[in-house]
Parts: sequence; C-alpha cells; structure tokens
Amino acid sequence: MTHPIQPAISDVPALFSIRNLHLSFPDRAHKPLLGPAPRIEVLKGISLDIPKGQITGIVGESGSGKSTFGRILVRLLDPDSGQVLFDGQDIGSLNETELRPLRRDLQMIFQDPMSSLNPRHKVSRIITQPMKRYGRGGTRADAIAALGKVGLPPEFAERYPHELSGGQRQRVGIARAIALEPRFILADEIVSGLDVSSQAQVLTLLGDLARDMGLTIAFISHDLSVIQYLCDNVVVLHHGVIVDQGPVQTVFDAPQSNITKSLLAAIPTPEIDEDWWAETESF
Amino acid sequence: MTSTHPTAQTLDIIKLNVRLANGRRLLRDVSLTLKPGEVRALVGESGAGKSMIGKAVLGILPNNLDISEGEIILEGAHLNAMTPSTRRKTVAKMSSLIPQDPLTALNPVRKIGPQITDPLIRIHGWSADRAMKRARDLLDRVHIRAPERVMASYPHELSGGMRQRILIAAAFAPSPRLIVADEPTTALDVTVQKQILKLIRELQRETGTAVLFVTHDMGVVAKISQQVTVLFAGRVMEDAPTQQVFEAPSHPYTQALIKATPTLNAVTKSFSPVPAELIAELHSDIAKIDAAYDAGDRA
Amino acid sequence: MADVLTKPFRRRATPMNLRLWLPLVWIAVVAAAALFAPFIAPHDPLAQDLMLERLPPAFMDGSEPGHWLGTDSLGRDVLSRMIYGARIALFVSLIAATATCIFGSTLGLIAGFYGGWPDRIISRLVDIWMAFPPVLFAVLLVAVMGTGLGSVIAAIALIDWTRFARVIRAETMVQARMDYVDSARIGGARRAATLVSEILPNVLPSIIALLMLEMGIAVIVEAILSFVNLSISSDDPTWGSMIAEGRGSIHFAWWVLLFPLITLFLTVLSFSTLGEGLKQHFDPVHK
Repeated sequence: MTHPIQPAISDVPALFSIRNLHLSFPDRAHKPLLGPAPRIEVLKGISLDIPKGQITGIVGESGSGKSTFGRILVRLLDPDSGQVLFDGQDIGSLNETELRPLRRDLQMIFQDPMSSLNPRHKVSRIITQPMKRYGRGGTRADAIAALGKVGLPPEFAERYPHELSGGQRQRVGIARAIALEPRFILADEIVSGLDVSSQAQVLTLLGDLARDMGLTIAFISHDLSVIQYLCDNVVVLHHGVIVDQGPVQTVFDAPQSNITKSLLAAIPTPEIDEDWWAETESF
Repeated sequence: MTSTHPTAQTLDIIKLNVRLANGRRLLRDVSLTLKPGEVRALVGESGAGKSMIGKAVLGILPNNLDISEGEIILEGAHLNAMTPSTRRKTVAKMSSLIPQDPLTALNPVRKIGPQITDPLIRIHGWSADRAMKRARDLLDRVHIRAPERVMASYPHELSGGMRQRILIAAAFAPSPRLIVADEPTTALDVTVQKQILKLIRELQRETGTAVLFVTHDMGVVAKISQQVTVLFAGRVMEDAPTQQVFEAPSHPYTQALIKATPTLNAVTKSFSPVPAELIAELHSDIAKIDAAYDAGDRA
Repeated sequence: MADVLTKPFRRRATPMNLRLWLPLVWIAVVAAAALFAPFIAPHDPLAQDLMLERLPPAFMDGSEPGHWLGTDSLGRDVLSRMIYGARIALFVSLIAATATCIFGSTLGLIAGFYGGWPDRIISRLVDIWMAFPPVLFAVLLVAVMGTGLGSVIAAIALIDWTRFARVIRAETMVQARMDYVDSARIGGARRAATLVSEILPNVLPSIIALLMLEMGIAVIVEAILSFVNLSISSDDPTWGSMIAEGRGSIHFAWWVLLFPLITLFLTVLSFSTLGEGLKQHFDPVHK
C-alpha cells in the first residue's frame, strides 16, 4: 500500500502523527447465518499530523468517520492497522495498562454533557476524581479553581449535573478535562447540543483556555462555520478519507475538494441571500 | 362546522396562553397570523415555547396542559370552541406535521406506502387508487428514485435523509392549508438540510400551503421564511418580516440571537454569546408581566 | 422542553410521598411486633387450651376477654401467634432477600459490564435456572436438604437470584453505554473501579427496589413452604401454617385464616410499594 502525499498541514511540529490508519466494524445487520459478519470500513488509510499547540478542526458529515477517528486519538477505540504516534510513541498498539499513565495527557470533552457526567456524582467529585488518580491534587479547592477557570462560581462544586443548564454542564466537562493539565484534548461535537446563546460562550471559553494553556485540541464538528471561528487548521473527512486539509483560511477561501465546497455552500448564514439557493446539490 | 366565517388568514392565533396545572404559564399571550402561502418562522432557544405553539395548533400537547385561554383560528374555524372530536377532524383535514426526528416518526413495523396513503383514505376519503397515485407522484417529486420499491420497504431500510423526504411527501400529499414543520432539519447534516429546505420551499410555493416553521437556527430563518416570530420564555419578542428582522432587528434579543449565529464572513467573524444581562433583564420583565397577570386573574 | 413539562409536576404528584410512608409505617409495625414479641404478645403462642378453642374475635358475641383476634382449633391465641409469626417471616425475608440480592446483583453487574464470555456463561446459567418451575424447585430443595429455616432461606436464594441477575444485567448494560463510563476511562480509572464507583451508584436504586420486592416474595415463599408443612415444625407459629390450619375451619372460624392472610398480604404489598417508592426517591433527576 502506497502512502498518500504526506500532510503538511502546518509548519508547527506535530504532537500527533497518524500514518495509514484503518478501522472497520463488523456489520451485524448483514451477518450471514453462519460465519463472521462482513466488515464496514470506517477509516480507509488516514495520514495526518496534528500540530502542537494549535486547534485542528475535523469536519465531515455523519458517516464520515470523524468521531471514530477522534476516539482512536484518545484510544477509546483500537485501530485495525496503522500508526498513531503521540509525541513519537505509537499509542495505537498499547494495551489498557500501558495506556493508563498516558491517559492524563489525552483528555476528551464529550458531545452530550448529560450522559458524560455521572448523574450520581457531585460536580466536585466529577472534577477531582481523575486528579486524585494521577496524584495531582483533588481537594475541594482544586475543584473550585477548575470551576473558576471555566467561569463557574464555587457553589457549583456541590451541585449535581441535572441541576445545571446544558452550557454549564459542558463547562464542567471542560473543567474536568483541563484540571489534569493534559497535552491534548479531543472536543467531540461539544456545542451541537447547545442553544446558540451558550454555543458562543463555550467556544470562546475553549479558545481562550487553549491559548492560555498552550493546549493542542482536535475539534470535531459537522459545522464549518464553528470551525472557522475557533480553529487554526481544518481537516475534511468524507467516507473515511481526508479530502481537504490546511490552515482554516486557506481551506475556506480556496477549498480543494467538492465536498468542502458543498459543505461551505450549505451553511445557512444569518443573512438574506437569494443566491444561497442557487447551488444546491441534487439528491 | 358552525363556527366558520370567511377570513383572509390561514392561521390566526390570538393571545394564546398555555398553562401547567399549577398555573405556571409556558406561553404568554402569543399572537400571530399566517397568510395563505406564507412561511412564518418561529424561532427561539430551548424552553422558548416555539414547538409548543405548533403543537397547540395541531392539538397534540400533553393532556396536563391547559390551553383554554386564547383563540386559535384555522381557516376561519375557531378550534378552541370545538368539541375534541370535531377539532381533531378539522385539524386533520386542513393541516399536517413535518416532525423533527425522521427516525422515530415512521412506524417501524409498517411499510412506507400505507403510512402515506392511510390518512388520505381515512381522513380525506380518497379512493385507494387515487391515494396510491398521489403518494407515487409526491415521492417522485421529493426526488425518490423507484417510488414503488420505496413504498414497499420498511423504514429501517432507508436512510435518515430519505425518511425525512418521505415525511415531507406525506405532509404535502393531501394538499393541506397549513403545515407545521417542527425543526425538520435539526437532526440532519448541513448538505442534506439544504436539500430538504429547498424541497419544502419548492413544494410550499407550488401548492400555496402556509408553513409554520419551528427552528432554533437564525440561519435557517433567514433562508426559508418571509415572516418571523422571535420567542423568549413563551413570549413574543419580535414579529416582523424576515427582511426587516435581518436588516434592522428592533428587539435587543433578536439582535443578540443574530450575533450569536456564526457566519462565514471572515470580516464580521465576531460571533458573540447572548449577554447574560440581557437574559436576566428579559426574565425580570416576564416576572413582572406574570405578577400583573396573576393579579388580574384573581380579581 | 420535556423538562419544562415534567419537572415541576413530579414534585407535586405524590403529596407527602404516601407511597413511601404508608408501607414504611406498616413494615415498622410488623418489625416492632417481631422484635418485641415476648413483651407485647398477650399469650404464649404455643399454649393450648382446648376449653377455649375457636373463640371469635373480641368484637363478636361469645368472645373471651384477652383474646382480641380469637383462638384457633387448639385454643391458641391468634394475635399472639401472628406476632410471633412476624419474627419468622421477617427473619427469613431479611436474610434470604439479602443473600439473594448480593449473589444475583453481583453476577448481573459482571455480566452486564464485562460482556463477552462472563456474560455468556452467566446468561446461559440464568436461562437454564429459569426453566425450573420455582415453587416445585423450592419444595424439592427443602425436601432434599431437610426442613428448617436454613433450608427455607437457601431455597429462596437458590431460586430467586436469577431475578436480580437478569434485571441488573440489563440495567448495567444500559449504563455501560453511557459516556460517563468512557469518561472514567479517559480519566484513568480501572475497569473494576469504574464498575464500582461509576455504574453501581446508578444501578443501586433498582437493586434496592428489587431487594424490597424480594423481601415480600421471601415472606410468601416462607408462607407457602409452611403451608405445605416444609418450613419449620408445624407447632411453631408462622403465617403460612396458620393459613393452612385456618383453611380447614373457614366456614365456622374464618378469623383463624383471615387475620394472618391480611397481614401477609399487607406486608408483601408494603415491601413492593416501598421498593418502587425508594427507587423514585433515590433518583436524582426525578426526585
């Protein structure tokens, strides 16, 4: 298998170097009566560098493999083949025990803040439990400090997730991730469940934290307008293949792929514009 | 229909209040009109009551809600003055719903065909042949290849975008006077969303059906509607032609909503949250209004 | 939106939470009777007096002072026997239900969380186990192990653990798919720790509800085994044996049957209602 031309997404050194990544799932719907189920290829040889200290947007439609790709970066999923070099170390082939010390550096913020915060635990416990595990504090004061960083008052430490609004829950999710001072954060569709008013807040917050803490973030979204606002670079996935990548402004100004073009053309921008309808893909 | 009188509006909602059993109001004196062939967007954030208005018109609100206060006039018929069964028949004859979630809106154990034709035969009294032909035509119209085969399939055999197109075909099939579209594209990818929006727009223009389009997305509002009702906490903040709302929004909340919607314009890349002070101010206004309303209620 | 519609209602739907308090009061009464039986029972439950056989309850003609609920065919005081019967009923239900709960829930948690071969083994075992008719199985077990309270308790645990295993497995599988489980993994938690500190608290309300239900069932199973004379010696006062005995004289001394039957009914009903009530009470979202 020949490698595609190597990605030069940016001049900055890479934190992640992914080479020829493949992943497939068994397709249980089409499993024959006897024998193994056929496999659906979700990622078909992805090679990508994720630059250190920058926010890289990963965009695509449902079924593009973007979330699956993200979950391999934080090793919630195991790749079938290919390399996942994190700071030079191939984490794609490590087992859970070998991964555990590395996990502090690979944090994640989830799409659904209700399901990702344990409903039985108070906010303080949600934030401090991982800190204790890695011997990085975990006192009440640490919880309050982390809440402060995401703009939530100290009394939130004693609340349960269901007592918070969607935007507040997502801030708690961010607080939990940054409290470990990780080197990488995966943000998986973190604003798609939020109201517009809190969307902008959460994005601004994440952008500010990334800058202050020098974080490397992979920001998964189906919404290019959000990516443009937050990210330095963007990668466009389609059916498990990278179809476009580069600095955000370059990709937005001169998209290389028709997929990117149609994604851009489909964003309903808040302005009256009859021309918007002109370019609509047919079914 | 005894309470019918001629009117120019397809839908006329006058001072509609929806209340919980404990008296708390979820909709506060909502009034709006919908002319034939017009698309009116109902926009707001979660909890604004936008879906509730559509459901109140269709009569599908949960039973524990009281909607006795205010008028809903559909094609001249005063819905709130009707008996439940007359109301149900009237509404079924004149309106349809395009639901939010195409994955759960179709019955998984029935084939697509009958799910489209059943209401045509049962409610509109069409012959089976006529209903079949209409279903085929409309599936064709929403760009479904091989309508025959699709009508003979079960929902799980089709993709989400395809199911949403089927639901649109089903909604337009009886040529209703009114369609309530309840966030019909929220669950879809942007490119599919655009296709679906275009379809609704075309069909709506062809048939002259009025559409009440519920959405949280100011971008979608700008593209699809001619009139906008902006809601906050069950209250109308602004009611104006779409053009005017985007060129010169009069209410600060509308302005904030537009600013909170990301654009692609690199120059005006600013995209800012709705200010917390504004939200607090609106809530305190509403508390005052409620207090006055409750006092009047008791008097 | 769903929040707006349901939240304020739940709080008001059960005024004073009667579903919780009524069964609690009844169980407290039965528990007090069991604990203090020697002090509150008006008579020795085993004392026979053939001169006073089948006396009606105090509110009927021909009753004898001191025998509030009448006497049975051997002249034993019905109320006293019921009070002592509560001892056996509660003792059996507490021990048997707890043992059943711990055994069944542990297997259910393991099967639901780890999946794979642990799940396959446990699930097959449950299927096979459930193919036996439970009461026959119990009778058979006691017949083999010999009568006595220990056998009764063992029989209940051996039969009913499948209920816990099945329900808790399903519930655990739902919880295991939640993002907070992935999130614990991201936070460096070991698998076993995730099961205990993340999933268990979310499954606990169901375990408690099932435990309460099981206590009621244990009371019934004990009564059934006493009824067919397979529990403890027939002289000892148990609700089941009282019902069995009262059955013969229902036409002329209905109280011997009716009072223990009502007590049994109320106790079982209380346990299951309390279980549901507690489940709702512990639910942080719908509290």
